[in-house]
Amino acid sequence: MTEEAAYQTDGTTGVQRASPFLVARNIRKSFGGAQALKDASLSIVPGEVHGLVGANGAGKSTFIRILAGLNHPDAGSIEIDGHPVAINTPHQATEFGMSFIHQELAFVPGMTVLQNIMLGVPKKSRFGLNDWNAMARDVAPLARRVGITAPLNASVKGLSTAENWLINICRALVRRARLIVMDEPTASLTAAEAERLFAIIRDLSASGVAVLYISHRLDEILDLCSRVTVFRDGCSVAELAGESLTRPALVEAIVGGAVTEGAKHCASPEKGDVLLRVDGLARAPKVRSVSFDLHRGEVLGIGGLVGAGRSELARLLFGADRPDAGTMLLEGKPFAPGSPAAAVRAGLGLVPEERRAEGLVLSKSVAFNLGLANLEKLTLSRWLPLLSARARTSFAAEAIKALAVKTASIETPVGRLSGGNQQKVVIGRWLARNPKVLILDEPTRGVDIGARAEIHRLIRQLAASGMAVLVISSEPDELPDLCDRVLVMAEGRIVRELSGPAVSRKAIVEASYADPAPGLLMEGHPA
Amino acid sequence: MSDIAMGSRRLLSPAMRSALGVFARYGTIIGLLGMIVVFSLLSPRAFPTLGNFTNVLNQASLAMIIAGGLTLAVIVGELDLSIGFAASLHGILVTGLIVHDKLPIPLAVALVIALGALIGLVNGFIVTKIKVNSVIATLGVGTILTGLAFAYSAGVPIVAGVPEAFLQLSLGRWLFGIPNNIIVMALVLGALWLLVERTSIGQEIQAVGGNAAAARLAGINVDRIKMLGFVISGMCAALTGILLASRLGSGTASAADSYLLTAFAAVFLGSATLRDGEFHVLGTFVGALIIAFGFNGLSIFGAPTFSQYVFQGAILIVAVGLASLGRTLAER
Repeated sequence: MTEEAAYQTDGTTGVQRASPFLVARNIRKSFGGAQALKDASLSIVPGEVHGLVGANGAGKSTFIRILAGLNHPDAGSIEIDGHPVAINTPHQATEFGMSFIHQELAFVPGMTVLQNIMLGVPKKSRFGLNDWNAMARDVAPLARRVGITAPLNASVKGLSTAENWLINICRALVRRARLIVMDEPTASLTAAEAERLFAIIRDLSASGVAVLYISHRLDEILDLCSRVTVFRDGCSVAELAGESLTRPALVEAIVGGAVTEGAKHCASPEKGDVLLRVDGLARAPKVRSVSFDLHRGEVLGIGGLVGAGRSELARLLFGADRPDAGTMLLEGKPFAPGSPAAAVRAGLGLVPEERRAEGLVLSKSVAFNLGLANLEKLTLSRWLPLLSARARTSFAAEAIKALAVKTASIETPVGRLSGGNQQKVVIGRWLARNPKVLILDEPTRGVDIGARAEIHRLIRQLAASGMAVLVISSEPDELPDLCDRVLVMAEGRIVRELSGPAVSRKAIVEASYADPAPGLLMEGHPA
Repeated sequence: MSDIAMGSRRLLSPAMRSALGVFARYGTIIGLLGMIVVFSLLSPRAFPTLGNFTNVLNQASLAMIIAGGLTLAVIVGELDLSIGFAASLHGILVTGLIVHDKLPIPLAVALVIALGALIGLVNGFIVTKIKVNSVIATLGVGTILTGLAFAYSAGVPIVAGVPEAFLQLSLGRWLFGIPNNIIVMALVLGALWLLVERTSIGQEIQAVGGNAAAARLAGINVDRIKMLGFVISGMCAALTGILLASRLGSGTASAADSYLLTAFAAVFLGSATLRDGEFHVLGTFVGALIIAFGFNGLSIFGAPTFSQYVFQGAILIVAVGLASLGRTLAER
């Protein structure tokens, strides 16, 4: 069927109105006892950019998994082009013209760009062999259209997140997708990369491909989307379009009345003495030479573009990687952790960037994950390392209460929690140790507004209690909101230090681009 | 397109799905009980007797010990294929130390168990420090051990001169006449269960197996925990080798090789028991029981020996397959 066939003329007004490509009505889904979706409805017309927003745990992910054929609804109906359908497998979702691009992009690492794009839909030659030349001919114009600069025969290994997104979009176009679902697409893109993505989304929309755009970044939603559906507690609570689509309206629908956005940063406390001194720390190729002082009781931000070497710096501080050069002093004593275990013993804590891959044992319970860095607290005695069930329960219950973790029980597998609550569990693990230095790498990535405000409040509390906190963030507003001082990294070096009133979103972004990296994707350098 | 559009909305009703979820966890236990009931009905005189049950447990104890050790290795996320070959070497070595070198039995046993730990340490070192895939590393080590076993025995089993006291290790009875094998097995599995489920080291062991990257960043020494898994696996293999030599009254260079397959079957059957695809000590015990009762039932009915292998392979695939299928369908 052609795109044109989906359009009908509205008889009464004479205006061209599209009949919906996809209608989902009253979708309900529960896992075990937990009701993930209670009553969710959503419709998408061809060629529109439709926003989907909601706090973490509102049911967005479950809804998408149902569209993708990964979960099956308990009740409700799905129509495509007006026909009721059942989406039993991801393959069927593809057949129906839907394509999904997730936060965790899935590629076969050893294969080329072209092989990944054509995975599952290869073109065969007369002899039944894969006809790579024909495939390359077909894909090349699409690749140009979405702006893939890497050669099609290059390996996907080592490509940037941005390029991975483009490859995924290309993959969707090859499959003639009529709806592309994008889950937090800009979470790990730089501002320039995001702009390029927006241009592509508008281009897709103009050519009749609908986009379901899921994001916590309301500015992007307002900028891109013509209609927005808001989920809250498993229900679709609002559909906003046109004049009613405003930031306050969105925030109100997401939070449900009680608006808690942006508790502003209070006056910076007296700076304490130097707790951690870093001098000339380097590990090729990502960290060139980094020196700074971290003071007791301060929140020090590290800004910069994705790939500037910030997470790699955090790994060096935490002993996860060994530096090629440089020294560290912790409380005036030489500090050279040979492993994370050594760093933890010395009084450091790390909340890693990839909480699912590096922060949590997803299949294990909330109590298990909270206890991981605190096992000596949970045993009967030092000499008898038997776990005390009572200590474990009270420890977990206390941490859950202190951090306001939303979970059915302490025995719930942590993988079932929403992103914000998972992050609280990782943070909670360290709080109980009361580390001297806490490093948080992208602490609020993919976390909803409410949880974000809570995590920020927590970070300020920790600093006020004398802890030195290092926050790495790509969220434009996060560091000015949170930090007394911000170091901006570019190309493995600290290029600027901002402090006090000089800490602003504008200053951080400017400093990040002060020394533009040559050949960065999406900066307009064709390969 | 139309056949897809007209397909059923959901594969299964919610009630059916929850039933499958239960089956995925309790299927192996239901199967074990079912097997016992069926065998009891078919052979009411020979099968359901205290004597026969004790006999089954006694026979199964050696497999349970080696499988219990293997469980630790797989919980930390590695495979140990050296255990069967190692147990064979341990068996011939302990016999040789006692018969040829005239060592006191406790010393010989202690030395061999220490060697088991050392082999585990070597396995762990190759896997964690040299970063060789554990399948390759332990297969290589196991093959070398087989060579050493043949070299030590020159291919001839040590039969003559095995002292009665050594035979009594495995054949003797203690406490209300319970066979020693069962007592040793209960102590070993009990200790392993306690270690994994109720100690702080056990939490680290489970964390390493669940997500090694996260465990490392939580401050756990992942390499050391993996080594520990291999060491425990190696020590349990040594214990099984010693008890087998005692039971057979001889040391043979390949006597315990087949325990590798039985141990793996028990461990994977165990992963389909009570928990969703996780390895655990209690599960391994149940897995080994299933295999033991199956063998026992088959032999009571006079089924030929080859059928035991068919049974072991089939029950493994059926049980793990059904549990996996049940989980998948229950989730959807």
